Amino acid sequence: MPLPSQPTDARRPRAMVIDGSWRALGPGLEPLSGPGGAPLTRTVKLILLPLVVRPALHPELAADFLAPERAAQLDALIRESGERLLATAQWFTLLKRTRRALGVVAGNPQDLYFQRCFELAAEHGAPAAGAGALARAVVEDVADADGGRTVDALKRHLADDAQRSLIERELALAWEGRRPARAVDTTAVVVRAAQVLEACGGPDGPRNPPEFGVMVEAGDGDLLGRALWADTAGVWGRSDVPVHLGLTERQLPPRPQVGRGASTATLPAPLDRTLFERLFVVLQSSTRREELPTIPELVRREVGRSCAPLGLYDESLRVAVVLGGRLAVGLDPLGTGESAPGRTSAHRAVNNRWRREASVLRARRMTVSPRPDPDGGVLDALAQDLRTPWAAYMRRLWVRLHGRDVRDAPLADAEAAWAVLDGVARSVMMDHRARVRSALRALSTPTAPPTAVPEAAESRSA
Amino acid sequence: MAQPPVDVRVTRDNDGIVRVAAGGAGPDFTLAVLDVAGAVLSWSVIEEPGPPTAEIHDVRRAQQWLWAVYGERVAAAAHACATGEQPAGARVPVDPTALAADAARLGFGHWAARWWPASHLDGIPALQPDLLGLELAALTHQCQQLFDGTADDFDDQPDDCAAELIEDHWAALDPLIQWWHAASTGPAHQVERVLRLIDDAADGAGLDGPELRRLRSLPDRSSPAATTPLNPGALFARSDGYALAAGELLVTGGRLIARGAGTNDWRRYPPGLVDASESAVSWTARALGARRQFEVEVVAHSAAPTTGAPLTAEVRVNDGPRKRVALARRDDMWTGRTDLDLPPGETRPRVELGVLLPGFDPGPGPETGAERDAIRALVRRRLTAAAQPDANDSAPHGSSSAPFLAEIAAAATDEDY
Repeated sequence: MPLPSQPTDARRPRAMVIDGSWRALGPGLEPLSGPGGAPLTRTVKLILLPLVVRPALHPELAADFLAPERAAQLDALIRESGERLLATAQWFTLLKRTRRALGVVAGNPQDLYFQRCFELAAEHGAPAAGAGALARAVVEDVADADGGRTVDALKRHLADDAQRSLIERELALAWEGRRPARAVDTTAVVVRAAQVLEACGGPDGPRNPPEFGVMVEAGDGDLLGRALWADTAGVWGRSDVPVHLGLTERQLPPRPQVGRGASTATLPAPLDRTLFERLFVVLQSSTRREELPTIPELVRREVGRSCAPLGLYDESLRVAVVLGGRLAVGLDPLGTGESAPGRTSAHRAVNNRWRREASVLRARRMTVSPRPDPDGGVLDALAQDLRTPWAAYMRRLWVRLHGRDVRDAPLADAEAAWAVLDGVARSVMMDHRARVRSALRALSTPTAPPTAVPEAAESRSA
Repeated sequence: MAQPPVDVRVTRDNDGIVRVAAGGAGPDFTLAVLDVAGAVLSWSVIEEPGPPTAEIHDVRRAQQWLWAVYGERVAAAAHACATGEQPAGARVPVDPTALAADAARLGFGHWAARWWPASHLDGIPALQPDLLGLELAALTHQCQQLFDGTADDFDDQPDDCAAELIEDHWAALDPLIQWWHAASTGPAHQVERVLRLIDDAADGAGLDGPELRRLRSLPDRSSPAATTPLNPGALFARSDGYALAAGELLVTGGRLIARGAGTNDWRRYPPGLVDASESAVSWTARALGARRQFEVEVVAHSAAPTTGAPLTAEVRVNDGPRKRVALARRDDMWTGRTDLDLPPGETRPRVELGVLLPGFDPGPGPETGAERDAIRALVRRRLTAAAQPDANDSAPHGSSSAPFLAEIAAAATDEDY
């Protein structure tokens, strides 16, 4: 992120100011504090910053370092909220107890309840008579917040024969209506993508190049999607990578089927997935399912979406696929140093991160051999994935973009797109680490079946 | 802990990475590392304890903890360096903090889980992984300021894993509670602290289970508990069924030509397979008529699985090509043999022998025997300290030099070695 320039004399780290103010509030905040008395990271991120400090209202408090008068202002804001924070802590304790009593286990209580507790404290003060019933209502409300947007509901919806044949007809029609782009020249598209990537990964954080808007205007993502339907060759400037970059396992993506079930361990490539599988991933992975369309609406829109270029409606998200593809073909996770055509500053940023990750993995004794090894078994297969990193990258990226498309969350500019592209790169690294860990664990306990680290891992961030 | 004042150097490279440099570097297995918000922290485990080196890729996220690990001045220098206000290379004094000490201890614990040089031959007992895992969970919670992930963002901190560690090492919870009941001296405070931290971490993360409920209902220890003598080593003991049968030869036939030791490079195979001693890898060359047979023996780690790991030896004779020899587990040894192409009169072949796991092996590295010896010396010092009855009180709380409970338990089973 760009760093606002400011002199640091007499300025104090904002995190330190928050810590001091927090401790000065005195006892009673333990449920929101870490073992050493500092506020929990989640207390800062989910309560203090968004609800007490509110940098959106006080932009002068948005900086990492604060001058004395700003520090005093922040301190005053936290002190003014002292009573309410104490009550928040008591509500949180009560909600955790209630959750246990009700046998609710899903999710992290801090993520789920912190903001609700702050609201309860505003409305009711500290828990008093009747608080137990209130707490039960909140825990149940949070647990049911998906409003019926569940995999089971999807299963029921698609089990109806009449419904299925209707969807089949619509899918057939939508698939027929596609316009594959045969013999198109995608050179200009890929050049623009490189320009955006060059502006993204620099040491001073992303600049917002106008080319991103140009790409969206020009429909560059739409063009790529239609080129993919025609299996156009040579799009990425390398003869060894297909235009689809592993988004399908076939030469051409097949017409989506309706589907009846899904398993995270055996999900096919994104564009080979059934309607059921596509929505299954969305329902499995969403943290705020109440914000999704209802199940019938989800299905209705997915019919059209699955037959749209790249399986996405929104053009800014399709452009992100172009950017991601251009990035992915130049990734070098194993640090072989082999030159790939036209690496940009975004490539350098991500490849440097891979280099750091590799040194951490060496220090944690979790290596994979950099060179192919026929005796290498599972570990060699994991290394092979790193030699063709675009497949894992594009799979992850597509799931995240699809999740945004379902929620109608387009990408406003190159900076927003870079945040997604960069986040996907991190997730691919974490997937790799989890797979190596799981493979090594399976080696040291050969009787236990190896734990798969499948797509479910995508759930955390999709 | 009165430490001498320490300076760090704060620099920024062309890619925007801000480095807070404290100690020197070293081979992979001498570095304790920790993934934290926006950065990677590292310490050399064989150098004098001190502040970590930080490689910061997101200075804004790191500002959450920079001040609390290094002090305000380093946080300001990192900020100034990132914004280009300060020329690179500034030397900045460090203020030692409790979080820095806890982080160093957490980093060391993760290191120990991967590189602890357990060896029958050297008399270095293994650490019980579940007991170590639980103490790491407690320390992770203690260090929560270092991490910034929530359900909605930042899934890049695999070390922010208190809940996963508790779930993975669940098996040691009940024994640890037993230890709490029995201990009123020795590491009683440390056991208590670890259990309370686990309780708090599990509560915050929404974990539940019978063991955790027992933990939650532990009374406050205001009066000394009845002292029942208890061997912590026995509490966490595993049935290794291990009997060392060193020196037993594969074949008795043939004429001995030569024998020697190979290299035991820990980097080339994962933990838990091979005894960490320098003398764990050995070879024998024999003449069987015109055939020249080469036998490899590798002493197994006490907890090594009997099947599943395709451990392999790599042998090179007289600068010839490297050749692989598959090893099979037989009692306490991995053994394998191959025919060698030796000239008939050759009696002193130059043999390079290594042991590796295919697919894992990063390749032969530089000679690092001196560093392995330094690690063994470090670990022996720690085990000696851990065997003292007041082990936990002699080192300051939170210091990475204070023994882990797993070290105390291992030191108590030491007599078997």
